[in-house]
Amino acid sequence: MGSVEKRSKDVMSDIPTFSAENLQNNLKVIQNSRTFLSIIAGVLAGIIGFNGLTGFVFYFVVMLITSVGLMAKAGFSADLYFDSLNRVLFDGFLGGLMSFVLFWTFAYDLVHIF
Amino acid sequence: MAEDLVLDTAIRDWVLIPLSVVMVLIGILRYFVSKLMRSSPTPDAKMVKEGQVVIRARNLKVGANFIPPRSFRTRRFYFTNEENGLLHVPKGEAPTNPQAAMFSDPNMAMDMMKKNLSMIIPQTLTFAWVNFFFSGFVAAKIPFPLTQRFRSMLQNGIDLSTVDVSYVSSRSWYFLNLFGLRGLFSLILGDENAIDDTQRMMQMGGFGFDASKSLGAEKDGLDIIQHEWALPRFEQRAESVLRKLVK
Repeated sequence: MGSVEKRSKDVMSDIPTFSAENLQNNLKVIQNSRTFLSIIAGVLAGIIGFNGLTGFVFYFVVMLITSVGLMAKAGFSADLYFDSLNRVLFDGFLGGLMSFVLFWTFAYDLVHIF
Repeated sequence: MAEDLVLDTAIRDWVLIPLSVVMVLIGILRYFVSKLMRSSPTPDAKMVKEGQVVIRARNLKVGANFIPPRSFRTRRFYFTNEENGLLHVPKGEAPTNPQAAMFSDPNMAMDMMKKNLSMIIPQTLTFAWVNFFFSGFVAAKIPFPLTQRFRSMLQNGIDLSTVDVSYVSSRSWYFLNLFGLRGLFSLILGDENAIDDTQRMMQMGGFGFDASKSLGAEKDGLDIIQHEWALPRFEQRAESVLRKLVK
């Protein structure tokens, strides 16, 4: 999974300048990681057999872990790589939810019902 | 009664997995077909020119503070000049409503229709197929409970009213797949073309490259800018940076 993040902002200048192409690449990287992890989380939740609310809590836990991981990769100084901190943390949360539910249902059924 | 139903393994083998596989394959097929069918419309020279002018004006807006005040003013004058500035559209010859032009232009209309069709047909066909073959039995159990109101939506083919709402019919498995495979497609098919239907339908609403309006907007945008030269003493700054490097 390509997780090379390039600097969007030049540290030396006092005025904020963003390289739009790098910014977009970084956002794509975040989205890819979140999607991938939400699928994996769905399969895991199904195999373990989470039911109801526990499963959604698990999903949010995994998303938080993703955020922490991304911040760690970005060296904890997110404004070098992104224009706003909120984007890093909260961007793909709900987008991955549907994939999570699909794979959760799938794995749960395969393992527990059939 | 909330006891666990035990479902036949054959359901898993012949319903869940084939349905998912078919939907993934249809998605991939649709992606490639849309790539093949993409006709390149011959661009209209005037529209392209206007588009480029808008792009140049936007670049000027972005980089406005990095050039000395006089050069900025010269450039701005070039764009917004009343007589022959590029962005100034004289009132008389405002182009006709581009939306009308777009619909009468056969290429554009065909393109939009093709895109719409390529989306709707596989969905309709798959839905009809699911309904015909896979109705009337419990297909899967969703791991979280929903209220009674969803029963009619999710349990369409099942006629018992005492079955737990978590046990759903294959129609709802189809819908679940429809929404959930978006993420998978974006991973498989590369990043740009992971378009899903709902996003495209939203894009269809706001069409229309309205040339005159965007030119006017750019002109106003340029007029508003207060130029503040951000690099007033960059010789000194360059000197200090170099000194730091040399030390």
